[in-house]
Amino acid sequence: MTALLELKNLKTHFKRKKVTIPAVDGVDLKIHKGETVALVGESGSGKSITSLSIMRLIPSPPGEIVDGEILFNGQDLARLSDNDMCKIRGNDISMIFQEPMTSLNPVLTIGEQIIEVLMYHQKLSKRAASLKAIEMLETVGFSRAKELIDDYPHRLSGGMRQRVMIAIAMSCNPKLLIADEPTTALDVTIQAQILDLMKELSKKYDTSILLITHDLGVVSEVADRVVVMYCGQVVEEASVDDLFEEPLHPYTIGLMGSIPSLEGDLDRLYSIEGTVPPPEHFPAGCRFSPRCPHAFDRCRNEAPVLREIGSRSVRCFLHDDKEATK
Amino acid sequence: MASYIFRRTLMAIPLLLGITILSFAIIKAAPGGPVSMLMDPTMKPSDREKFEEKYGLNDPVHVQYFKWLGNMVKGDFGNSLIKRGVPVSELIMNRLPNTLLLMVVSTLLAALIAIPFGIYSAMRPYSKLDYTVTVGSFLGIATPGFWFGLMLIMFFSVKFAWFPTGGVATLNAPFSIWDRIHHLILPAIVLATADMAALTRYTRSSMLDVLKQDYIRTALSKGFKEKKVVLKHGLRNGMIPIVTLFGLMLPSFIGGAAITEKIFAWPGIGSLFIDSAFQRDYPVIMALTVVSAIFVVIGNLLADILYAIFDPRIEY
Repeated sequence: MTALLELKNLKTHFKRKKVTIPAVDGVDLKIHKGETVALVGESGSGKSITSLSIMRLIPSPPGEIVDGEILFNGQDLARLSDNDMCKIRGNDISMIFQEPMTSLNPVLTIGEQIIEVLMYHQKLSKRAASLKAIEMLETVGFSRAKELIDDYPHRLSGGMRQRVMIAIAMSCNPKLLIADEPTTALDVTIQAQILDLMKELSKKYDTSILLITHDLGVVSEVADRVVVMYCGQVVEEASVDDLFEEPLHPYTIGLMGSIPSLEGDLDRLYSIEGTVPPPEHFPAGCRFSPRCPHAFDRCRNEAPVLREIGSRSVRCFLHDDKEATK
Repeated sequence: MASYIFRRTLMAIPLLLGITILSFAIIKAAPGGPVSMLMDPTMKPSDREKFEEKYGLNDPVHVQYFKWLGNMVKGDFGNSLIKRGVPVSELIMNRLPNTLLLMVVSTLLAALIAIPFGIYSAMRPYSKLDYTVTVGSFLGIATPGFWFGLMLIMFFSVKFAWFPTGGVATLNAPFSIWDRIHHLILPAIVLATADMAALTRYTRSSMLDVLKQDYIRTALSKGFKEKKVVLKHGLRNGMIPIVTLFGLMLPSFIGGAAITEKIFAWPGIGSLFIDSAFQRDYPVIMALTVVSAIFVVIGNLLADILYAIFDPRIEY
């Protein structure tokens, strides 16, 4: 099965005053048709930059995709002209963002913000587009969609605005929806509703989802596969069942340990020691080694590669022998 | 919307009354007064009393105020002291079209140049063009109008003789549009330069702020080209503070630009104001003060209304 989207050795670097910051440093990633892939990691691990790179929305300068391929349906987006990229953005690949409160234009009506996409990509007439806009708003769960299209975003709550964002993103039946922490700014009950909606729509339209999050609870609920990022690199990749069953990378194990659980009476929440180093101070060898409880000499001197172990892969010397046993 | 405009207009009335009371108090407090201005210093005290009786100067202050206010509402500002017998309203109405022409043209000129430059500066901050525009606008702000005007006259009127040195039209010549434009160019450039500089800075900073917003990223993620994103999604938001600025510029449309008008011998309100001030022509000064104060209030009102039109978040 060929992948809908495949990142090969993607490198997005930022140049600031002669210092190069490797925010995304050789990421490999595959998303198949209809699949939901979660991209997980702490703040600063490069997940958002990865997603913005796919959209080619990295502010340039200072950011630049310096190496690698972004294969979407076999087409390398990294080398596409700006004009051709505009035809894909919002049409084949669309995106929703973390902050629903500020992601909609305050001076345009909700209808206008959906209609403009439909008129631009689908070449619909204004009438047809506004009918479709009403239909989309109904699809994402608004009952009074007809009145809503003449309303302005400031009348809506955060959860409702995120629904509008989803309606905009899904209006052209994209093949891939990138959701950059879509529920982080919402309260828990609304979070669940939004995730359910995304799941439902992805099934209905056969849309793949790249879900960027640092919330493993969200991951277990919606993802098929999980990619864990640390310091601009993928450190582990596995199906959601495998990952929660048996996390391999010490970083993933640490992340799992940080989830509060209902069983057991923990006084304090576990946390991984230390913080993500800023990109200009990435350590030599394994980038996680300074925070890793299992680090040994080799980890500090030699950078591990992402190696496949059966259907999953991990970037860690601890699992060097596993390949042989399989 | 209509009720909002109505309420805001009603709220302006007490403010306007306050302005007239203050203006009246100022003229009352001013030394001299009409008697010493109009009368022969050698006249007898009995004649003086007759005179005061005739013009109502012996009435209590509040009676005088209400008479003055009543006349003013009817458009009667009294007669000029210097040009005897000429009503002040006539003096003003003769000058007003000239001032309006100059101010509207120079403001439009400023806006047409400043807003695109401001937008472009904000789209490419810290680029060569941005620095050029920034330096240019600081020069524009820092250059005094009277000096700039004189320089233009010196070079383009005296040395090269491309433009007339002043006035609105060639004397004793039949009316021609080209002649009018010819006279308008230099003073309009001088006035536009200062406005342009400030307006460029405002537009730049406003747009710079807007272009950083999340909804701009959303618009880009929809696949629109940068130009469309900036003009459709950015500009409407970025223009909200600029529109307010225009409302606040409105009083100067009526008040004119005293110094520039004087330099270019432009027979407008601004130069009328200067002349009247030098000649102590109190009725004219009073009328101009009140009229421009009224326009300040109207300008503010207009800015508020425009604000509500442009920004749907404003509740009214």
